[in-house]
Amino acid sequence: MLFRIAEKTELKALFDMLAEKNTVVGPVQTDTDRKGKPLFAFEQITDQGKLRLDYTTTRLLAKRYFLPFREDLATFTVNGGDWTKDIDYHIDRPYVFFGLHACDINALNKLDKVLMGNVYPMPYYVAKRMNMFIIGIDCRPQPFCFCRSMGADTVLHGFDLFLTDIGDKYFIEVLSAGAYGIIKDLRTETPKESDHLQYMRTVAEKNKLFTARVDTTDLTKILDMEFQSPVWKQWGDKCLGCGTCANVCPTCYCYGVEETVDVGLQKARKTKSLYSCNIVDFAEVAGGHNFRPERSSRLKYRYYHKHRGFVEAYEESLCVGCGRCGEACLAGITVPEVIASVRGEEQ
Amino acid sequence: MDHRLAFHNVTPHHHKYHRKADLDSFEFTYKAEITSVYRLTEHENLYRIRIMDSEDRRHFSFRPGQFIMLEIPGVGEAPFSISSSPSNHEDIELCIRTAGNLTGVLSRAQRGMRVGIRGPFGTSFPMEHMHGGNILLIAGGLGLAPLRSPIAHVQEHRSQFDHVDIIYGAREPAQLLFKFQYEMWKKDDINLHVIVEKPDPAWTGDVGLITKVLESIIKGRDSTFIDNTYAIVCGPPVMFKFVCAMLAERGIPMQKMFVSLERRMHCGMGKCCRCNVGSTYTCLSGPVFDYWSVLNLKEAI
Amino acid sequence: MNAKTPITRTYLGIPVPRPKVAFFELSSCEGCQLQLVNNEATLLDFLSLVDVRTFREAMTEKLDDYAIAFVEGSVTRADEVDRLKKIRGTAAVLVAFGSCACFGGVNQLKNRFKDPAWVKKEVYGSHPIETNDTARPLEDFVKVDLQIFGCPVKKEEVEKIVTNVVLGKSIVQPKYPVCMECKANENTCLFDLGEPCLGPITRGGCDSWCPNSRFGCWGCRGPTVDANVEQMREIMNKYGFSEETMLDRLECFGGFAGHAAEMRKTVRRGGPAWPPE
Repeated sequence: MLFRIAEKTELKALFDMLAEKNTVVGPVQTDTDRKGKPLFAFEQITDQGKLRLDYTTTRLLAKRYFLPFREDLATFTVNGGDWTKDIDYHIDRPYVFFGLHACDINALNKLDKVLMGNVYPMPYYVAKRMNMFIIGIDCRPQPFCFCRSMGADTVLHGFDLFLTDIGDKYFIEVLSAGAYGIIKDLRTETPKESDHLQYMRTVAEKNKLFTARVDTTDLTKILDMEFQSPVWKQWGDKCLGCGTCANVCPTCYCYGVEETVDVGLQKARKTKSLYSCNIVDFAEVAGGHNFRPERSSRLKYRYYHKHRGFVEAYEESLCVGCGRCGEACLAGITVPEVIASVRGEEQ
Repeated sequence: MDHRLAFHNVTPHHHKYHRKADLDSFEFTYKAEITSVYRLTEHENLYRIRIMDSEDRRHFSFRPGQFIMLEIPGVGEAPFSISSSPSNHEDIELCIRTAGNLTGVLSRAQRGMRVGIRGPFGTSFPMEHMHGGNILLIAGGLGLAPLRSPIAHVQEHRSQFDHVDIIYGAREPAQLLFKFQYEMWKKDDINLHVIVEKPDPAWTGDVGLITKVLESIIKGRDSTFIDNTYAIVCGPPVMFKFVCAMLAERGIPMQKMFVSLERRMHCGMGKCCRCNVGSTYTCLSGPVFDYWSVLNLKEAI
Repeated sequence: MNAKTPITRTYLGIPVPRPKVAFFELSSCEGCQLQLVNNEATLLDFLSLVDVRTFREAMTEKLDDYAIAFVEGSVTRADEVDRLKKIRGTAAVLVAFGSCACFGGVNQLKNRFKDPAWVKKEVYGSHPIETNDTARPLEDFVKVDLQIFGCPVKKEEVEKIVTNVVLGKSIVQPKYPVCMECKANENTCLFDLGEPCLGPITRGGCDSWCPNSRFGCWGCRGPTVDANVEQMREIMNKYGFSEETMLDRLECFGGFAGHAAEMRKTVRRGGPAWPPE
């Protein structure tokens, strides 16, 4: 890893350099909530003035750029009794992601394990992921952030550049050769020992700000032990079964496939839509049998997949602790509270 | 200073061979033709399907217990266990109950209809491990569909097995599948035991639950037999739960019993999560599991 | 749209019938039928899929041989009951077309007043009018084979359902709530904007039509499977909306009639009493 230091004024130069010939996606303010707080989302931007690197969080990740909610896996042209199948991975250019937080980059790294591994890699994701140029930005922990508990508050790979605001300068991690090619045209310096110390102080200060936490000790075992725990029923009673937690989750990738015939009967399509395990028919089979008819069993399954199954497979959790699910849940179901209740801790 | 980023162009193209790690294998479909539709019962048909490209057909191979994804463009795609012999490289046979959208349209299919198939996917029954031993092939209802492929293996390798029993339970005689094969199985020195829950007037065989006939079979066998016996159990969870418990009670180790789980799948490749049991992918770690693994899956039974 | 041309089509070798269909309206705004006519891009394809015998919005000819009847509107007059029964007698498949036909729709709002005579007087004054005391969904009078929800129906969904019918595919209604499509459309949650919304408990399939325009869901498609209405009530309270705000929405289209009646029994009073006694 190469480290550089740059004056904050260089940010605009970096942005303009990339935006001139590329499509840039970054955090912008899209709304103001009923309490007057800004709401942010990732959108395409051409003007650096719109970029809000001080954003707290976004409700949705920039999922549409690498894991669209709806995507045709194939289209068919039907001709008499015969058909042809056409496949398109739906990507035509590289995208620059300007300002992802560590949690969201960690989320991509986790998705990579499922969708980019060597057992049936998913080309629709791979083709898009290979065309992401990612600039990370450090963040200020919010009351709902428990990324530190999940080991996702810092990120080691999966990005090109990572910027940390250390007061009057940016401390820059340069990870990829492509990023180096850009950095060399910016005015940057080799960090001095005092910059290193300033970086470490910044991180130490940030760590003090975390308030939410999840105890993951022995969690896979505890989830097994508490499979019959009454707390699942209590959370199930609260759950709306609306699927919002999955839709705002940066690591949820479950989906459903539906095939449709166009009204003219000449074209057909096979469409993938991200789905949520909290929806009533997630585990329903063709004959009508439902393996998880109760909301509680579906909510429990979600925790099992994230905090047990994925750990078993990859020795890490499928949760980055971004807290979006809890923030977006109208019923106020949060991961720290659910896990604490399963562990029998006072809430 | 041109900072246009390089575009990594990943476009689909067709390889002749398809490996799990190839990007293009994800949505690769063999075009196949329905060569015959044979009505087995009121609700079940046996479909013979042939991959159209002769080279693909020759290379397509599977193991007993594996499944394929069958697709009718615009209608849908669903997983089906292969019901035929792995050594038959001409036609793949699928025993399918008409129960939903895809199978409903399929039941109206004519000979010659062109469908898509992907796969084969999933784990298989470790037939070679069982060579030299006795084998109990136990099916409840539609469970005979996935069991027919291991039965075919046994028939083709009959000398590799000692005692072979097929124990098959169905609700009523009219629902019995593959009746035309029973005599052939017997000729291959396979003990066939069929039991129905609700007999019709013409029925002369056993009446009751499958565990009834199973109990009488294993009771009479000594411990040398039991020590050298494997079991393959296919059927609804409530059936294999009681059957496996009975076999375990009699002393057959749980890792020598194999079951095939049925779940809805949308991909077959460990992505969509629809087939997960607890947090295990039925499509990758299954559909064939040994019974010890099944007992350790939350939600399996 | 020549009804006499026999069309023998197949899809992948499977024969595709061209069923004779007819559109009818009981008490309604005919907005659902208008949705179909509006869809110019696919109208011709749609018309080659079915043989339209009667469709007041689009043609003058009226033929009364049909296999599928799409009936829009609710039953609010005695003569409509007779008409509906006659349609049922002819049609092999009767489709409740839109929320009025499925649940009573906006028309059934009058059902919540205890004194129908008072309503009649308030609305129509001394003008003589024949109307039943309540507005009812079709299924209260005849067997309904298929429901197409929405106020109005979504034309893409209608085309999909009709295509599936002729192909012999299963008709599967969405079992997920409006929230799924709303999130996929990347809308800001209306609760964040301080607006009430029934999206979490309402059947999806509308592509979050209203929330896309920052208009909270009124539940026109009725409850989603496994709708947690009790929790929705808690949430409405938590966000500072009165019980009447929630009831107004639950009662608006009739899909939540059972839930609304249940909630009325334990309503926590606040604000002006409604409906007037």
